[in-house]
Amino acid sequence: MRLRLATAAALALTLTACAPSTSSPSGTPSDGGARTGTLKVWLFDEPNRAPKEKVVQEAVAEFTASHPGTSVDVQYIAVDTRSERFKGAFNDPGSAPDVVEYGNTDLPEYAAAGGLADVGAIADADLTADARASATYEGTLLGVPWYLGVRALYYRTDVFQELGLKVPATLAEVTTTARTIRTKKPELFGLAVGGKYTYAAMPFVWAHGGEITDLDSAPARAGLRAYTDLIKPDNCPPQQCADLTGGKTVDLFASGKAAMGILGNFNRAAVDAGAAKGKYAVVPLPGVTAGSVAPAFAGGNNLGIMKNAQRPALAADFLTLLASKKYQARMYDAMGNLPTLKSASDEVAGQDPFVKPFLDTIAAGTKFVPLDPGWGKIDAGAVLPTMIEKVATGKATVEQATADAAQQIDAALTK
Amino acid sequence: MRSRFTALWLLLPAALVLAALFAYPMYQLGLISVLDFTQAQVSGGQPTRFVGLDNYTRLLGDGQFWSVLLATVGFAAACVIATLAVGAALAVLLTRVSRIPRLLLSLAAMAAWAVPAVSGSTVWMFLFDTDLGFVNQLLGLDGYNWFYGRYTAFALVGAAVVWAAFPFVMVTLYAGISAIPGSVVEAAALDGASTWRAFWQIIVPMLRPVLAIVVIQSIIWDFKIFTQIYVMTRGGGLAGQNLTLNVYAYQQAFASSEYGLGSAIGVVMMLILLAVTLLYLRTLRRSGEPL
Amino acid sequence: MRRVLDTLAVAIAVVVVFPIYWMVLAAVKPAGEIQSLHQRPWTLAPSLDAFRRVLAVNDFGRYFLNSLLVALVVVAISGVLAFLAAVALTRFRFRLRTTVLVLFLVAQMVPVEALTIPLFFLVRDLGALNTLGSLMLVHTAFTLPFAIWMLRGFVAAVPDELDEAAQLDGASRFTVLWRILFPLVAPGLAATSVFSFIHAWNDFLFARTFIISATGNQTLPMALLVFFKPDQNDWGAIMAASTLMTLPVLVFFLLVRRRLVAGLGGAVKD
Repeated sequence: MRLRLATAAALALTLTACAPSTSSPSGTPSDGGARTGTLKVWLFDEPNRAPKEKVVQEAVAEFTASHPGTSVDVQYIAVDTRSERFKGAFNDPGSAPDVVEYGNTDLPEYAAAGGLADVGAIADADLTADARASATYEGTLLGVPWYLGVRALYYRTDVFQELGLKVPATLAEVTTTARTIRTKKPELFGLAVGGKYTYAAMPFVWAHGGEITDLDSAPARAGLRAYTDLIKPDNCPPQQCADLTGGKTVDLFASGKAAMGILGNFNRAAVDAGAAKGKYAVVPLPGVTAGSVAPAFAGGNNLGIMKNAQRPALAADFLTLLASKKYQARMYDAMGNLPTLKSASDEVAGQDPFVKPFLDTIAAGTKFVPLDPGWGKIDAGAVLPTMIEKVATGKATVEQATADAAQQIDAALTK
Repeated sequence: MRSRFTALWLLLPAALVLAALFAYPMYQLGLISVLDFTQAQVSGGQPTRFVGLDNYTRLLGDGQFWSVLLATVGFAAACVIATLAVGAALAVLLTRVSRIPRLLLSLAAMAAWAVPAVSGSTVWMFLFDTDLGFVNQLLGLDGYNWFYGRYTAFALVGAAVVWAAFPFVMVTLYAGISAIPGSVVEAAALDGASTWRAFWQIIVPMLRPVLAIVVIQSIIWDFKIFTQIYVMTRGGGLAGQNLTLNVYAYQQAFASSEYGLGSAIGVVMMLILLAVTLLYLRTLRRSGEPL
Repeated sequence: MRRVLDTLAVAIAVVVVFPIYWMVLAAVKPAGEIQSLHQRPWTLAPSLDAFRRVLAVNDFGRYFLNSLLVALVVVAISGVLAFLAAVALTRFRFRLRTTVLVLFLVAQMVPVEALTIPLFFLVRDLGALNTLGSLMLVHTAFTLPFAIWMLRGFVAAVPDELDEAAQLDGASRFTVLWRILFPLVAPGLAATSVFSFIHAWNDFLFARTFIISATGNQTLPMALLVFFKPDQNDWGAIMAASTLMTLPVLVFFLLVRRRLVAGLGGAVKD
């Protein structure tokens, strides 16, 4: 018996010994790497990307003009498969891009994977404290916040006027208003919601007092029920809405097929490019009681430098340029992205009434996903969308779906 | 030229390639499946740990795995049966029609066969698109989402699979039937056998080796379908309802960074395929077919 | 009776070819008609806009060449290796011959998708990630077992007496192999290579896993998926790209059609 155990242990040792080699990311080249050549940049693909692309092209032109012998290869990464791409880049140092845009929710996972370089030395001192905090993990600044994004309630002023509707003051009123619109105008969705649109669902949960980490609690269930009740034929039929992503709801609202949508400041360009242009207004998404605001998800994207970057010095220059006040303001004009630099933010707030509902939403208090490397797994494993879709398609009750999700989230976070 | 030595030399290059890119990775697959192997190990510099059968027990204790397994087997079986039925029926039809229709049908089949899986998937998606799809507009199913229901989604993916896979069966069986000397069939007819009996008692037995290949290949191909599911249902459908083992393993490994768990799924899948094929090979041997 | 069957065959042919027709049609439809809620099965204003969009904006030509290069290299290498192995397995009787045959069959059964995980690490350790070479390497391996399996029939169909006679005339083994057997098997090789070609051409799993950041080394299937947008799918471009992707395989198929039919029949007679 003892012998057998010993053999097993020995076997285990040999097995482990010849497992695929693992790699710790090589440190950043201390000399900053080559100063010429092609800089590889990954940015997020978005609904209606053209305005973003245009601004980025300007930045690239300015950069290559001031850095002779360089070119910039910008790739737009699909958001829903970004996790695989980033991990591929972490796993193979030779393939890594230099500068990356990443969502602030991905920070803990990427940090734990050892993929991002410390950018504390190049970050602008003018960054708002909130923004700086959102890119800091365990005391290290692993990205320069590029823009903030919060979602609020977009609604069609012409439809509301025609039907004599009031702007809803509570979440319950949002639902009743949405149903009224659908009844009176069956060709429209009342409020565009989607099974894959987690960031529209979470405010419902938060407003009812639930948390991501206790989805099987009564308040969280009430919130989820309120959201999934919207994916019904009397507002947004599950046939069409159960698998919608946030991007698709943007498209529905922009093309005039929905009377309301929970969209971000960064979706402004997409909406203005569609049929809804000039016929909409924005208010903070109301909470459970009148006068309150449903806590929004404090979204935002950072620009980071990969630890595996081959041209970190060039990368730092390009990042600084793209995150500068000038291009933050350009990105605001192009996409509606809220600047992270205090000076740029103040300027924008002073000039443009469009940002007010978003700033109000931020002032009312925002929420964030758990700051834990396990979150990336929950996100990539589509735990929350699966939960919503199960309820929306009637495959599970709110109780079953939340219990499953809570279990998966617990398992991922405690690791 | 008949020395064993030469035979080995001739086999060597192929064997080397297969050893390096099949046998070794298979060994590694088994290895990773008994390790705690996640992103922290791969790039985070953490040591790998031998966890024995933990990944397997986790897998077997997971309700979703069983549901995915069941769906995979059911879906593959349906695809194999449908492919064989359609292919065989059309092969027989080919032997019965005039030259021009035969040419047209075989050209159409060749064309369907030639369409790459990704292109084929996108075309079927477009044909059945909720709003812009020709099929919905033709049938007046305004706003009907084929990918909403689990079974309609599987059926649609299955149709795309059969459409791409039946030509192989049809062409092979047709070639097999054409190779049967006409005199055999005529002799049977002279003996007074009906067409139906002649078919089952003479043609089918002569086709058995061909059928064997066609069946094995169909099982192998259909069980491993990845592209159509991945592209058409966007990586597994609503709430993962259209996941098959292949896609599930891929997502566990590359999306959730559970390389160990993903490998365990791969091992399970390989074992199932092996069992099915070996079983089939044995029945073939029993019935006296040479390999 | 025959007329009924003829009509049936033609009707089925039409149904089978319809998705392909629809693909090409959608590729040449003007944008307005694609978005229409009343799709017509024809178009009166064909336009090449979608093709232009695909070719100009997205560097599709480059990806096309990449795919072609990968597929051709795979076809060539796996063809030669399979030919040698098939000769060994049909012209020689040795112990373990059946075992080797069964192993090749088993190799076909391996779900290569499951091997993505170890192969990813293997290719990474070779430093070959992000290169077209990595794709050539794995697809050569994946196409070999089936190619060997199928080529056996073609080699067996060449009468033994032929190479025996040549050998009696004093021809070396090498000559017998390349000057006598190879040309006779070549038509079968062409038929076999269709399968290798399709396999390499179709792959999108390894392409998406191995080609991480080298845009210049993307292959067609990945490039095609780029047109699936977060908001509105550009169906015209998707269909144009699909059409472009289908063309070479279609041409290849039609070229070797007769041999393919004969080959499949021959391979199974064995």
